[in-house]
Amino acid sequence: MNTLTEQNQGASNYEYVIARIRSRQASLFDDDDYRKLVRMGTAEIARFMEETEYESEMNALGSRYSGVDLVEYALNRNLAKHFDDLLEWCDGRLYDLVARYLRKFDAWNVKTILRGLYSGADREEIEDDLIRAGEFSDRELEQLLAAEEIAEVVDVLSNTMFEEELTAALEDYEDTGTLVALENAADRAFYETLLAGLPTNVESDSATGLYLEFLRGEVDFRNLRNALRIARSGADIDPSEYFIDGGRLFDAEEMNQLVGSLDQLVEHIRESTYGEDLDDALDDLADADALIEFEHALDAALLEYADRLSNRYPLSVCPVLSYILAKEREVDNIRAIARGREAGLEPDAIEQELVIL
Amino acid sequence: MSVVLANATQGAVSAEPAIPATAAAALAVGLAALGAGYAERGIGSAAVGATAEDGDMFGRGLILTVLPETLVILALVVVFLTL
Repeated sequence: MNTLTEQNQGASNYEYVIARIRSRQASLFDDDDYRKLVRMGTAEIARFMEETEYESEMNALGSRYSGVDLVEYALNRNLAKHFDDLLEWCDGRLYDLVARYLRKFDAWNVKTILRGLYSGADREEIEDDLIRAGEFSDRELEQLLAAEEIAEVVDVLSNTMFEEELTAALEDYEDTGTLVALENAADRAFYETLLAGLPTNVESDSATGLYLEFLRGEVDFRNLRNALRIARSGADIDPSEYFIDGGRLFDAEEMNQLVGSLDQLVEHIRESTYGEDLDDALDDLADADALIEFEHALDAALLEYADRLSNRYPLSVCPVLSYILAKEREVDNIRAIARGREAGLEPDAIEQELVIL
Repeated sequence: MSVVLANATQGAVSAEPAIPATAAAALAVGLAALGAGYAERGIGSAAVGATAEDGDMFGRGLILTVLPETLVILALVVVFLTL
């Protein structure tokens, strides 16, 4: 599990990786496909997917699931397959940069296993919900699945990036009996390694520099979402507990002050470096009731930024990033369509939920 | 000391050039081949990647991969000019 330095030696193989991901990016669904999908029923969506990229996953899972569940599991499995491939191809520095971001699936898996154990779900159910896209190997996930109580999971995770945070949170869990502390710890562990040990001397205008900026943006947006949620719900939560270090938007103290008032928070974002990109979204936020549209705007802004970078720096980590984001969005979109159709939403209502450029 | 230097320069002027023409031509071909090899390294790995995704790309990938080989062929012209 401690592959942090293992594969980082040697030269990066940008040409190979980028040729492959460009080809895969071309086979993602486009606007037309989405327009067709939102007008289909769930069974039709499943049939449509059998004729695309997702064929092998749909066939493999077809005997065990049906309807929306089938679509969802096939999506997850396909995502995992592609991202696992990515980690397999990348060498050297490129591997380090890509793995940083993909470790978020490790955090996801750890959380899934913790939640599964907590709710008493059986092993198979937990296994199906894993997304095997992160850095953990199958054997390591197997060990985690074999654990029978939460303390054991934490034990298995020693020597990984989760060790410190989870061990600290375990006590809290044993005192309170709620999972929040552990879940939070898994996320924090991910965000901390996301920015840890990055080269500091890269030029801010180089491809790597811009990628680092994107990672910082990711932390900022996460903080922003948390701040907005706390501000909006008015819950009595200590914001600093959820604050992630390393972003540029605000520090812990500022966040503490800003969550007090939504207006001040919006004003702060408007004046920040992201203000320009998010201007329209912020206007919407001011008079919208739900955060969801703002969150979609954040996603779209990230996607657009990544696309621009990928064309500007064709031989760098940027196209890989652009592909990862586009693939994630596609999976989210198809899931939203399938779930939306199942719930009987109108095509127009579903289209609003999608993040399409 | 100065005598030796003067002798040396005189000798260099009158003698054959340090690198004979044919050797220089050979060097040119060698360097061109080195450049072509470096160029093909990147194109080749990209071509292999593309072929892995889509087998139909094999032909196109092959052509693109050997394009820098023209560098060496052009450098060969130099050899014929010196002969």
